[in-house]
Amino acid sequence: MKYKLKHQTLYTYVNEVHNYQSILCLQPRNSAKQICRNFKIEIEPRPSKIYSRTDYFGNIQHYFSLHESHKSLKVTVSSEVEVLNNPVQLFNTISCEEARTKFQTDLNLKNEVLQYQLPSQYISWDDDIIAFAKTCLIPELSLFEAVLNLNKKIFTEFRFKSGSTNVNTPLQTVLKERKGVCQDFSHLAIACLRSVGIPAKYVSGYIETLPPKGKPKLEGSDASHAWISVYIPDMGWCEFDPTNNMIPQQRHIVTAYGRDFADVSPLKGIIFSSGEHKVKVEVDVIPVQ
Amino acid sequence: MIQDISLGLLQAYKESINSYDEVLDQNGEIKPYWQGLFDTLETIGIDGLKLHNDEIIKKLKENGVTYNVYDSNKESNRAWKLDPIPFLIHESEWKTIEEGLKQRARLLDLILKDLYGPQTLIKNGIIPAELVFDNSGFLLPCFDIRQKHNKQLVNYAVDLARGPDGKMWLLDNRTQAPSGAGYALENRIVMSKIFPELNKKIYRKRLSPYFSQFQQTVDSFATHSNENPNVVFLTPGPGTETYFEHVYLSSYLGYTLVQGNDLLVRDGFVWLKSIDQLERVDVIIKRLDDNWCDPLELRRDSLLGIPGLLQVIRLGNVAVVNPPGTSILENYGLMAFMQNACKFLLKEPLLMSSVATWWCGQTKELNFVLENLPRLIIKKTNRKQGFRSIYGRALNDEALENLKNLILDNPKEFVAQEEVSLSTTPAFINGVIEPRFAVLRAFLIADNDDYKVMQGGLTRSSAIKGKFEISNRFGGISKDTWIISDTPISYQESVAERKYTNNQLKNSLTSRNAENLFWVGRLCERTMALRSFLKIILNRLNENVTKHGNKQPEFLVVLLKSLTHLTQTYPGFVGKEAKEDEEFDNEAIYENPISELLLLINDPKKVGSVVYNIQSLLNTINQVSEKWNHDTRRIINLVEDSLFALKNTNTNNINYVNHGLDKLHIRLFSFYGNIYETLPRDNGFYLLEAGKNVERILSLLSVFRSTLNFKKNEEEEILLMEAILENHHLLSQYRNIYKSHLSLKAVINMVFLEKNLPYTLAFLLDTLTEYLSKLPKTNDPNRLSIAEKSVLEASTIVKLIDADSLIKEDELTMFRPELDATIAKVFQLICNVSNNLASLYFNHSVMQHSVFDTLENIETDEI
Repeated sequence: MKYKLKHQTLYTYVNEVHNYQSILCLQPRNSAKQICRNFKIEIEPRPSKIYSRTDYFGNIQHYFSLHESHKSLKVTVSSEVEVLNNPVQLFNTISCEEARTKFQTDLNLKNEVLQYQLPSQYISWDDDIIAFAKTCLIPELSLFEAVLNLNKKIFTEFRFKSGSTNVNTPLQTVLKERKGVCQDFSHLAIACLRSVGIPAKYVSGYIETLPPKGKPKLEGSDASHAWISVYIPDMGWCEFDPTNNMIPQQRHIVTAYGRDFADVSPLKGIIFSSGEHKVKVEVDVIPVQ
Repeated sequence: MIQDISLGLLQAYKESINSYDEVLDQNGEIKPYWQGLFDTLETIGIDGLKLHNDEIIKKLKENGVTYNVYDSNKESNRAWKLDPIPFLIHESEWKTIEEGLKQRARLLDLILKDLYGPQTLIKNGIIPAELVFDNSGFLLPCFDIRQKHNKQLVNYAVDLARGPDGKMWLLDNRTQAPSGAGYALENRIVMSKIFPELNKKIYRKRLSPYFSQFQQTVDSFATHSNENPNVVFLTPGPGTETYFEHVYLSSYLGYTLVQGNDLLVRDGFVWLKSIDQLERVDVIIKRLDDNWCDPLELRRDSLLGIPGLLQVIRLGNVAVVNPPGTSILENYGLMAFMQNACKFLLKEPLLMSSVATWWCGQTKELNFVLENLPRLIIKKTNRKQGFRSIYGRALNDEALENLKNLILDNPKEFVAQEEVSLSTTPAFINGVIEPRFAVLRAFLIADNDDYKVMQGGLTRSSAIKGKFEISNRFGGISKDTWIISDTPISYQESVAERKYTNNQLKNSLTSRNAENLFWVGRLCERTMALRSFLKIILNRLNENVTKHGNKQPEFLVVLLKSLTHLTQTYPGFVGKEAKEDEEFDNEAIYENPISELLLLINDPKKVGSVVYNIQSLLNTINQVSEKWNHDTRRIINLVEDSLFALKNTNTNNINYVNHGLDKLHIRLFSFYGNIYETLPRDNGFYLLEAGKNVERILSLLSVFRSTLNFKKNEEEEILLMEAILENHHLLSQYRNIYKSHLSLKAVINMVFLEKNLPYTLAFLLDTLTEYLSKLPKTNDPNRLSIAEKSVLEASTIVKLIDADSLIKEDELTMFRPELDATIAKVFQLICNVSNNLASLYFNHSVMQHSVFDTLENIETDEI
């Protein structure tokens, strides 16, 4: 499947910004599962230089800074991404408990996955989350199935409600109020998995959305998306999408992997100004034949 | 005879020893160099020692040596404590220690490179992954930082103590912002000045080679074939306990002292923001903890760092000592794995033992720790979380049980260390020489292919007898540290050829310092102006008490109201308009004006009061500590004494209050005099003087306007004119010229127009014009800046006045419209000057993150 991808972020500021420092994490990854071509960044006002760098997790970041006073900033990235056919993996029946033990005893494996078992900036767990996790992640159940159950539970019991949360909403609140967005559901699923010793990553990227039946697809109607990746012994990292209760196939495009949102936030920056700012994001994921 | 007495002092000390002591060797014999020191102490005697001790305390106070957060709200600042008796180590032993330290530095440097690189230590199971990935000192954004110098760990400090086996043990590593070398230097300098006879018979090694090496190493970081590297010393600011050291060391080493917001990242370089240009920075000596130094990639709520710094380091366009990421080496847990890491990386055994350390993340170790808690010290692997080490020995059964559960809850977070019995060393405490536990901090700096160790260090002994916990935060006492040699030390100071004096000559003034100096001028003058006017009022009040009793005459009421206007402490004597359903007795305050006046003097929370102004002044002065010379510093100490005295003024005795205010006046005047005579004539000086003149003009105008804008009866008006002339320091001149007759027209002509009297408006505006003209301009240097234009306009208005029409009053209301409007206009123009300077030279934008987090307390730099 091939897509044309466009992601535009527009900041508007009440007062002039004199100095802006920013890091973007917006370039889709190249991997065995997808190829990214013709990646372009346009920034207005134009920075004198954009520096790219591969971060600790292998994601590509772009750094730039602005020094002319400005009251709006537009960052547009575009690319063509080809998502390849995923060969179906042989299903491993290892149980949650067996997997957990393996992560502790196999030194090489432990070193690889430890960072994804620990709490991170946005992910920590309390007794409520552990109790929630244990309803799905039953020790003797096969890990793969258990993760599917967890996905399903989040999908069926939680309401997707954009605007109901923000990046700083604690997971405890999400769990209590049973609503949130893809970011919250992914963080919650990861917290559940880590709370019982299963390593899990945060995946940021895009999903192709389909317009309501009989209506044309609107420009800018897609959104960036988030899902999770779980380490299953002998299978490796396997991706799951708790928001849509599915295993990502050809409609998911991966931008970055990290411990949680903090590692992969698409656009972060430091502003030198004295006022507030507003932000507007438009994303297009257009299939091409 | 002397021999006998000597035996006495030393004998007395020997008898008080109850554990292993520095003075004795393994066989219980007195080490010869300690004998030598005690011989000298003997000739000085206990009384002489006391005298020297007092001198030391005085000297340290004069030099402003502190170890704490500056806070003028406290009654006194916690002064640095220095024991007159030094800590001695013989060079033969020191050589062995040095070898151990250098090896440890090499090892830590390799560990650092490995953990942020191939991680072979983790892959081979030498260091458990948890101690790295689960540690707040391991910073992922730093994994691709590799400075061009072959050492990543450049500067290293380490705490040592002598264990029961007579050898030095390593207790702790300081890597991300090693502190203490400046205190060690200051200790040595103070001791040499106050107590030169102490080392008459002793050869001790010099500290200066360490600092020369420091400068050479820093110079070698110069980027882009820059012969004259621009080096800055980055401090978190006066909010840190070791701020004194930052000021002291930066000036000793010749580096510009900066805070994060003095620096800016642009076009892939770091720049220093001075008031007229951006200067490229080559090397940053970082005294900020790693996590705080770049809010873009590290702690996003840090307001102390420089956004974008990490990217510049990666590009190799700036070098940082030590580079961010080094914080991982401070993890106590790593100490348990040093022996193995040394064998793995250096292929040799560890020369210096660390204090025995167990990481509770391993089953066997955990069990050992739980069974032996009473003889262990419990620490956390993640430092700086406000967790104070727990001494098992001090706990009762219940507390031990709680501690056990705390550890079992999350064993990986805890580290246990053996509570080693440290050696004691002679300390002079309350007039007696007694044994105290001591810890020595040693300092290392990378040179071309290895490390150089300071031939000395910073020794601290415990504040409380028999207590092992030694930290300056908890009142430890420092000691000068002598490496003793049997032969004279040849004076072969390799005078470090400082290739540049660039910074000093150009005297780049950062925007932050520019603003602070401007405000030093304003706040000092604000305090002086208030003091002068208060004195005028207090004197008249005093006379009036004797003459008329409690009823205040009209002119005094006018002056008191004017005081409220000057200080903007409304309602004060001005009172307020009663709203509906509200009664407000505006007259009550006049029955006892002293109590309100007293608040205007001694209330530190009342914005505009004398002590409030002094506090603001001292805080601002402290922000630019590096600008003040020794004498100025002594005067600042006196101003601080005045602050404490005035705060405690609580009497209705006007004479007493006056006396305190007079003292303050003289001290502030000395401050003025000293800086005027000694500050270099540069932009900083011009801004300070500009601030002073702006404030002086504004306060004089405020008093003049509120005193004379309404016509009073003749008798009252004469008294008011007298007060005004006195406020302008013009009364005697006036009498010389006009004899005793006071006319408003003559007063106005003099106060506005007289060009040669320092407190007239004409004079002050000319002076201000002069200083502003020296400041750098962003536009054509031949044109006037906006600030200069404002002064020109004000000056023109003043010089074109017609006194006859100014004094005209509205017959109905007695208001003098032209006088009031003229002064108001000039006042506004001078306010504009201040704002213009601020927008031109000072930096007012605020750093914000696109995602907001709550601000937590800044971690402190404890030593």
